[in-house]
Amino acid sequence: MRNHFARGRQAARIARAAMRPMRKTKTSLFLLTSAGLILSLAACSKQNSEARAATEKEQAQSTRSPEARPSRNPLKNAYFGDLHLHTGYSMDAFAFGTRTTPEDSYKYAMGETVEYMGKPQKRIAPLDFLAVTDHAEYLGVVRDTIDPNGPFAKSEWYAMMTNPDSAVSASAFRKLIGSTIVNKPLPEFNDPKLLRSSWEKYAAISDKYYKPGKFTTFVGFEWTSAPQFQNLHRCVIFADKGPAMPYTAFDSLDPEDLWRYLEAQRKQGLDVIAVPHNGNASNGLMFSTRDMSGKPITRDYTERRMANEPLAEIIQAKGQTDTSPALSPTDEFANFEMWLYLIGSDKKANSATGSYLRQAYGVGQEQQAKLGVNPFKYGVEAGTDFHSGITSTEPSNFPGSHGNQDSDPRIVITATTSVGGEPPTALSSGGLTGVWAEENTRESIFSAFRRKETFGTSGTRIKVRMFAGWNYPKDMTKQADWVTAAYDDGVPMGGDLAAPSGTAAPTFVVHAVKDPDSGNLDRVQIIKISTKNGKSQEKIYDVVWSGDRKPDPKTGKVPAVGNTVDVKSATYQNTIGSTELIGEWTDPAFDPNAHATYYARVLEIPTPRWSTYWAAKLNVPPNPNVAATVQQRAWTSPVWYAPAKP
Amino acid sequence: MSEVSLGVLSDEQDPVSQSTAKGSFLPVLKRWLREPLLHFLLLGLVLFAIYGYMHRGRGGVESSKQIALSLDELRQMEMYFESQWHRQPTPAEFQAMVEDKVREEVLYREALAMGLDKDDTIVKRRMAQKMQFLAEDVTAAHEPSTAELKAWFEKNSNKFALPSRYSFRHLYFSPDKRGKNARDDAAKALTKIAGQPEDSNLAASLADPFMFQDYYGDRAPDALAKEFGPQFVVALEKLKPGSWQGPVESGYGWHLVYVDTVIPGRIPAFEEMEPDVKTAWLAEQKRQAWQKAYTEMRAKYNVLLPGPSDKEAVQAPVPPPKKQVPAPSGEGPL
Repeated sequence: MRNHFARGRQAARIARAAMRPMRKTKTSLFLLTSAGLILSLAACSKQNSEARAATEKEQAQSTRSPEARPSRNPLKNAYFGDLHLHTGYSMDAFAFGTRTTPEDSYKYAMGETVEYMGKPQKRIAPLDFLAVTDHAEYLGVVRDTIDPNGPFAKSEWYAMMTNPDSAVSASAFRKLIGSTIVNKPLPEFNDPKLLRSSWEKYAAISDKYYKPGKFTTFVGFEWTSAPQFQNLHRCVIFADKGPAMPYTAFDSLDPEDLWRYLEAQRKQGLDVIAVPHNGNASNGLMFSTRDMSGKPITRDYTERRMANEPLAEIIQAKGQTDTSPALSPTDEFANFEMWLYLIGSDKKANSATGSYLRQAYGVGQEQQAKLGVNPFKYGVEAGTDFHSGITSTEPSNFPGSHGNQDSDPRIVITATTSVGGEPPTALSSGGLTGVWAEENTRESIFSAFRRKETFGTSGTRIKVRMFAGWNYPKDMTKQADWVTAAYDDGVPMGGDLAAPSGTAAPTFVVHAVKDPDSGNLDRVQIIKISTKNGKSQEKIYDVVWSGDRKPDPKTGKVPAVGNTVDVKSATYQNTIGSTELIGEWTDPAFDPNAHATYYARVLEIPTPRWSTYWAAKLNVPPNPNVAATVQQRAWTSPVWYAPAKP
Repeated sequence: MSEVSLGVLSDEQDPVSQSTAKGSFLPVLKRWLREPLLHFLLLGLVLFAIYGYMHRGRGGVESSKQIALSLDELRQMEMYFESQWHRQPTPAEFQAMVEDKVREEVLYREALAMGLDKDDTIVKRRMAQKMQFLAEDVTAAHEPSTAELKAWFEKNSNKFALPSRYSFRHLYFSPDKRGKNARDDAAKALTKIAGQPEDSNLAASLADPFMFQDYYGDRAPDALAKEFGPQFVVALEKLKPGSWQGPVESGYGWHLVYVDTVIPGRIPAFEEMEPDVKTAWLAEQKRQAWQKAYTEMRAKYNVLLPGPSDKEAVQAPVPPPKKQVPAPSGEGPL
């Protein structure tokens, strides 16, 4: 029996080797099938909108039936949700006085009223899907500390956790989160039996609220690895049923071990992905070209990373991970919801390099030239990471997001520090994931994650999609069925441009529609990161914009849209900007021998930041440490181009 | 309890690898021979025989000093290990798990003998929880008849109310294309198409293309609020079906709307909702069973709290609460 382990390892190696050529065959087979499918879809969807109207009419006439499940839309609908949310089942959220449960989270997302910090809360626009992702470490177990008759009644935990003073609960938070950072579990909270029963209850809640066609839930958790406060956290999202147990940072701090866990789950038939977030708080570790042991990453590492992590989170409460003004000095919109601190610490990160997605897209292409595979070929999603149990991403309807750390207006107005280091106002009003999927089901939405046909927003419900192709006709968006043609003759966001036929440059089609309950749209941009001879550069193109603004002849940049916000009353007017922006763009500097990543960014007109709404309600000036107005936005997953091998 | 000895399994290599036997049963046999549970059971059998031989004629062990683990329990332990580690336990690991279990049992019995279960909050809480499960399980065993569910549904039907649903066609007047005139243009268009049917070509020719659908069938207000913004739904609910009306403002601009069908909110028939009714009925039964069981138990007790003087407290016991008492565990803040 001594050979048990060795034999297992060998078998895994053989299996991996066997998988490699197979994967390629599978991919091409998949592409062929999808192409066939799209062709047939194109044929039957020429009169799509009228056919759908007829179907919907038919459905409506069966008056006695309960609300009909909407029919599948082969051209896909945009659905919005949150893939990163904590409830009172998370150790730190509970320490902040958050007492909501995953039941509350799902109810709130569906549009019901729930109580948070003693007040009723309700979303203006319900969401379409949600994954509650409580910290896997001590999941649910810390809730026992406040039971006056419970096992912790005579301990300091009871005293700390029941103290309404946010400074006291912050110290409890530090003890709890500290144990994950030094990787020394507190035995009183790490009892396998307690954890198991808590996990089972937690996963069952997710299944209970799943309403196919209407509201989708995912079983998820957060793996909380942050060596020396450098954030490597991942949210783990299961396609359907959840696992026997989650994987914790106490099991390992190394993402490669997390991937091993995911691979083992997949072998048992449970498809699952991990989503890294807050590269901005990772000190350059998140998108490093070295592994945890300091060795340069390999082809095997890269393939496993991409198989396990199709998406990265681009924005959440603790800032955005698109880029920083330091890395993108010519991007006048880069300075947006910046969070400069390490995780759970008052120390600032030393390194922007290795911490942001845009730069990683370039570094990934440099690696691809060496390894043959791109380690950072991430699609994008977004989440809140709120520790409130409720996805309250509406700035005008924002109750705070971290329990007693930021729900009391007096604290928010005056506090200069918080658990996270920065003043609590520095937290943003979160982010939302958008997906393009045929219907609102686990299967359809999870497939969109895998295809990367996704986008992330700063919490607003902008609908945006992008397609790329070599032969898109001019003015194709003027055709009624342009979406069919776009799928037919090109790839949607998340896809790879095939090899060019001839010398033509690729054409991109972008379509953005505003959130019906937020600001109008300012512009759509395409951000291009190209790599040649081991060097990468970024360039931002304004593609479609509102009004009759003319690009500056020198810089090529479209001037600012203006600002209608009255800060004092926290109001704005939709008298500038557009409800819809649509258009085509052909890359004017396409080099068939350079790698390129293209993604779209949509900007709203300026609107009041959540902290400005609070200040207006309290009739005080807004906190000077943060912007009074912001341009909310959305980012699409990229389309990639790689030159054919010489 | 010194008799409970588990022996040491040898950590030697797989005996089968020496075998020269051929045939299709070999892999099966190999797997069986590698099965740690089999090793354990065989070893147990040997130990049992030795033990029986050494203690022959003693008339058995005192039952309170016997720790018996069933095959099911051992299986369960193995499965638990596999779910955690995604492989079978080695014999050494399996043995360690069994010893853990035995240790827990030994210490538990010794602790009971010393009376350590008295005045322990964890023990108290766990036993209180078990009482709740017991009370709830009594009802869970009972499968409701359709008649029973139906009768309950008649009394509780308002819990199952369905919202109104709207089907409509709309014309869109885009502020992107018409600026400030969007509303007036919509109002002017309405004067031209008043009295026109829903699918009139004239109607469609006056408006701008809409980015999503021109027709929405069978939508509940919350779904429409998500799509058009909340103010649109407030206005839609006031429109009379059967003619073009408006202008109505949405988050995208101005619309003329032809509502063709409104399915008013209603209480559904029992047959439509039977599975939901059953779920709700079971939850209600559990709650009631718990309530009843607790009320009965509570009635047997007098609760005394310290008053101004002890004498007074005894004269004025605290009555059982009139309000419903929540179950000791479950969802919601603790």
